[in-house]
Amino acid sequence: MNQQPFLRIFTAPATLCAVGFIAAMVAVLQYSLRAYVPGSLDPGGFTLANFADLLKPLYARVFLDTVVVCAMTAVVTLIVGYPLAYALVRVEQPILRSILLVIVVTPLFLGEVVRTYAWIIVLGNNGFINSLLLSLGLIGKPLQLMFTPFGVVVALVHVTLPVMVIMLAAGLSHIDRDYSRAAESLGAGPIRVFLTVTLPLSLPGVVAGTTTAFAWTFSAFATPQLIGGGRVNMISNLVYQLGFSSFNFPFAATLCVAGLALTALVLGLLQLASRPLRKIEVH
Amino acid sequence: MKPSASAEGEHTAVYFDTVTKRFDDVAALNAVTLGVGRSEFVTLLGPSGCGKTTLLKLAAGFLGPDGGSISIEGKRVNDIPTYRRGIGMMFQNYALFPHMSVADNVAYGLKTRRVPKADRDKRVADALALVKLKGMENRKPRQLSGGQQQRVALARALVINPTVLLLDEPFSALDKSLRTSMQVELREIQRRLGLTTIFVTHDQGEALSMSDRVAVMSEGRIRQLGSPVDVYRSPADPFVASFVGDNNRLRGQFVSMQAKQAIVALGDALVRVPGESLSGLEKSAAVDLFVRPEQFDVVAPEEPCTIKGSVVAQIYQGGHVDLQIECSGGAGERLLVRSPGEQAVLRWPMGAPVGVAIQADQCSAFPAA
Repeated sequence: MNQQPFLRIFTAPATLCAVGFIAAMVAVLQYSLRAYVPGSLDPGGFTLANFADLLKPLYARVFLDTVVVCAMTAVVTLIVGYPLAYALVRVEQPILRSILLVIVVTPLFLGEVVRTYAWIIVLGNNGFINSLLLSLGLIGKPLQLMFTPFGVVVALVHVTLPVMVIMLAAGLSHIDRDYSRAAESLGAGPIRVFLTVTLPLSLPGVVAGTTTAFAWTFSAFATPQLIGGGRVNMISNLVYQLGFSSFNFPFAATLCVAGLALTALVLGLLQLASRPLRKIEVH
Repeated sequence: MKPSASAEGEHTAVYFDTVTKRFDDVAALNAVTLGVGRSEFVTLLGPSGCGKTTLLKLAAGFLGPDGGSISIEGKRVNDIPTYRRGIGMMFQNYALFPHMSVADNVAYGLKTRRVPKADRDKRVADALALVKLKGMENRKPRQLSGGQQQRVALARALVINPTVLLLDEPFSALDKSLRTSMQVELREIQRRLGLTTIFVTHDQGEALSMSDRVAVMSEGRIRQLGSPVDVYRSPADPFVASFVGDNNRLRGQFVSMQAKQAIVALGDALVRVPGESLSGLEKSAAVDLFVRPEQFDVVAPEEPCTIKGSVVAQIYQGGHVDLQIECSGGAGERLLVRSPGEQAVLRWPMGAPVGVAIQADQCSAFPAA
């Protein structure tokens, strides 16, 4: 029982953070229920009107776009990330493994804005891709890559990839190698081993990675702001416009609450759908 | 210790020819040669790190040798991947596919061989009947006990009619009573099907009770290859003598050779022991005698005997009694002595002074290292 005082000391910072966080959330929730008084920074009386406004096509559209962009990002990140994670776990040469790890992890340290700027250079009308295609004569005029959902998804995939790879690699590395050895001993070649054993056993990792990627992307701000340039709006961008351009704090707060609720809903559905997978014991 | 060259004949199912395997700079296997006959049950026995599992993995194709060659049914398999070797393997943790039912696990090897469904279903049913798991087809591995999981693993390995069955410590996760019954059952099935089997274990009891031949390994070499009785009765070197079965090591001095027997002085007493490995020793060179617990006779201290001492522990084992006897005069050396029946319990109580006679013609003697 001597541990108790230590426990209290060790959990104190976390508790403090949690208290601050909860207070902020309560404030946001409270704001979302207040009326907007044009021309004033102070909110008006309590009302549910903000939530009714969410259904306006203008705003509903942003929610839908956000979900679509997030879903596409999650799927593409999964497709790009799986082979990387697989290689990271299975490659035996230490040097190759280090190189892979650096490629995968470095973007984490660069920050979203820096990575997004890099993509502006690649995707712009005079950017890398267009210059290359033009000089090869494959296209007559620059492709519109900036300010499109495609461009936003590409940049978001890059931002999300490290998280996805780390989660997939964690899942893959927990799969006992004896399963694939057993399959080989029973006559299965490498492709069959992968499709019938490794892939199914890695599904819990796939679900975890996809879920995290989705949630990670849902709150994206800098990437859609810079690459979408106002033409691809996600919830965070809308919150920014309403809160910091129109000073409509109550509705911005409502959008936050609704976004949070939507994320929770989507993640809940994903968890529910993947319940059968949790029974798989990988060890 | 090398098996005779004739080991690679038409009856050889698996042949390791001077196989060497290194991990970084450590030699896991050092020019190992071993032939496993068709339908033979050969056990690779040794402490962890002796190379037994490496040898099994080489047979399976999970590792490639750095030198030498491996043949299965007369065909060199060095460059043939695992999935074309036609082996059956049982893993220490069974490695049953957790996302498949029992029936799907067993059917896996038949699907890869494109066996038609009707035939496949019948063979799966037969294999499950063979391991007494009828009615479990739709269970998932996690719903089975350890013993049942092991049976599924065995059925899965057997159903493909493997040319050789490889077993990697398959019993280590089972409790003792279950282990014994599974050992008997596995051996019965193996005999009935005439399956060539290579079995890896560090449990010498398991090795002695199950094998046609035992290869005792240490430090990447086969120290002795022989029948369980050979390995137990006539160990080839001190390592085998002390690794296989209980043994007492007694330090003595070489006196002389007489015919094929050596006279060795143990304290004041002289014993006559098998002398093959002592020829050429100089007088009073140090000699290690290995005496099995059952090769001692406990007698009253006044009777003729080799060693005197007193009983310091009595371990009643039902069918026999193990006595620990501390030698008097020496450095407190303890002997493990096995006395059949239960008379010893009353006859040699704790603290009783006793004499110990050695059935010297049965024991093994080696020059002391």
